[in-house]
Amino acid sequence: MGPSLTSRVTRRHNRPTQYGGARLVGSLALLGTLWLTACNRPVEPLHQEQILAFGTLVDISIWGIDDTTAQRASTAAIGTLNELHRHWHAWQPSPLTEINQHLARGVAVTLAPDQIEVIRGAQVLSRQSGGLFNPAIGQLLGLWGFQMDERPASVPPPHPDAVKERVALHPAMDDLQLDGDQLRSRNPAVQLDFGAYVKSYGVDRAIETLRRHGVANAIVNAGGDLRAIGRRGDQPWRIGIRDPRGPGVLASLEIAGDESVFTSGDYERYFSYAGRRYQHILDPRSGYPAAGAMSATVVYPGGGMGGGASTALMVAGPQDWLAVVRGMGLQHAMLVAGDRTVYMTPAMAKRIHFEVDPPPAVIIGAP
Amino acid sequence: MTRADWLALIIAVALLPVLYGRYWGDGGPASVARIAVSGQPPLELPLNRNRQLAVHGPLGDSLIEVKDGRVRFLASPCRGQQCVHSGWLAHAGDLAACLPNGITVSLQGKRPRFDSINF
Repeated sequence: MGPSLTSRVTRRHNRPTQYGGARLVGSLALLGTLWLTACNRPVEPLHQEQILAFGTLVDISIWGIDDTTAQRASTAAIGTLNELHRHWHAWQPSPLTEINQHLARGVAVTLAPDQIEVIRGAQVLSRQSGGLFNPAIGQLLGLWGFQMDERPASVPPPHPDAVKERVALHPAMDDLQLDGDQLRSRNPAVQLDFGAYVKSYGVDRAIETLRRHGVANAIVNAGGDLRAIGRRGDQPWRIGIRDPRGPGVLASLEIAGDESVFTSGDYERYFSYAGRRYQHILDPRSGYPAAGAMSATVVYPGGGMGGGASTALMVAGPQDWLAVVRGMGLQHAMLVAGDRTVYMTPAMAKRIHFEVDPPPAVIIGAP
Repeated sequence: MTRADWLALIIAVALLPVLYGRYWGDGGPASVARIAVSGQPPLELPLNRNRQLAVHGPLGDSLIEVKDGRVRFLASPCRGQQCVHSGWLAHAGDLAACLPNGITVSLQGKRPRFDSINF
């Protein structure tokens, strides 16, 4: 609108008419100036809030409803996230640590319906990923010191024998037997720690809470785990995916409707010891931090607890990522390998827009 | 039309592109650092004024420095110091976070390029 007005004014200004023309130019210019200043940028009905929850920073964006309702909705959604965080906390006393105590003793524990949903879902994802997503390795995570809020930098990585010993116990989601609401483990080494997977569950519940409050357009982003519904006015939501090395955005994509974007990265939690870097995503086969990938992103329709998928891709790395893509039925997957080469499915490649110059080398892998 | 009329007219026309640029211009280099602290309304710092600012989070004060159009975590009371290691942010869309202290610093252009960043 702006440029066309300017050019119109200039054109008229060049007309050879003397008096009336000048007056017309004058009134148009005045009108234009007033118009520009009066409505400079309309206030967008966007409510944004950021809060510490789930051990990470959660940001909630709500579009298109009045601020009071948006405020109420986002407070309720944050309440949902905090409640789930307490419920599924793997190292502070919680309903989950209670379940883990029962599993370690080999006795049955009675589950609530939402606990059944989470554990069943994790069993399915673990199977589909060929065991690369394995939330039964809580003991290993504890051994590495990833079950504490802030790991002291002076603590060395665990002794190789201790790692080997834990891996040899083969804790797996299929060791769990669910009979009605009774859960028990055939293997006392199973200790559940759901990590990103339960964050994705939390994001889904938070979106449900927002919808119950009448919100139709929103993003809930718990660090790397995001779901977006609706759109931002007449625009789709624009999501940036962080560069795994450096403070910027590697790539972006647009979402309109209802989709989730999950990114796992080796930069989220790690510690350095004697010049080596150890990240928090462990390969359940070796017991050591997964190597080969710096970050993995999946996009999938609706919700559905996809935190497991990005974790499994990180573990798979560039060698095995397509097996995970096939096994988990992923349409949109992207892996940033250790050498910064980007591996993508064809559907993902169509939607990804690189924000770095020069763009990274890309390898498209057909599932 | 007097001379003053013409002068007013010329100024008004000359102002149009300036106003356009000011209010409708998009993207370009970052102009503002947005500092978000958990549970508080975000702060915005213009990048054209060098300064240091202590921002209070759950662990204590994080020190944010704005210098020559860039911004960084100068110090933070967290153990990992990942925020400090992120270094200077200089481009719109750049982001550094101190999760333990619940603070993020991001650079915004005239209009945010991303609605949310997966990090």
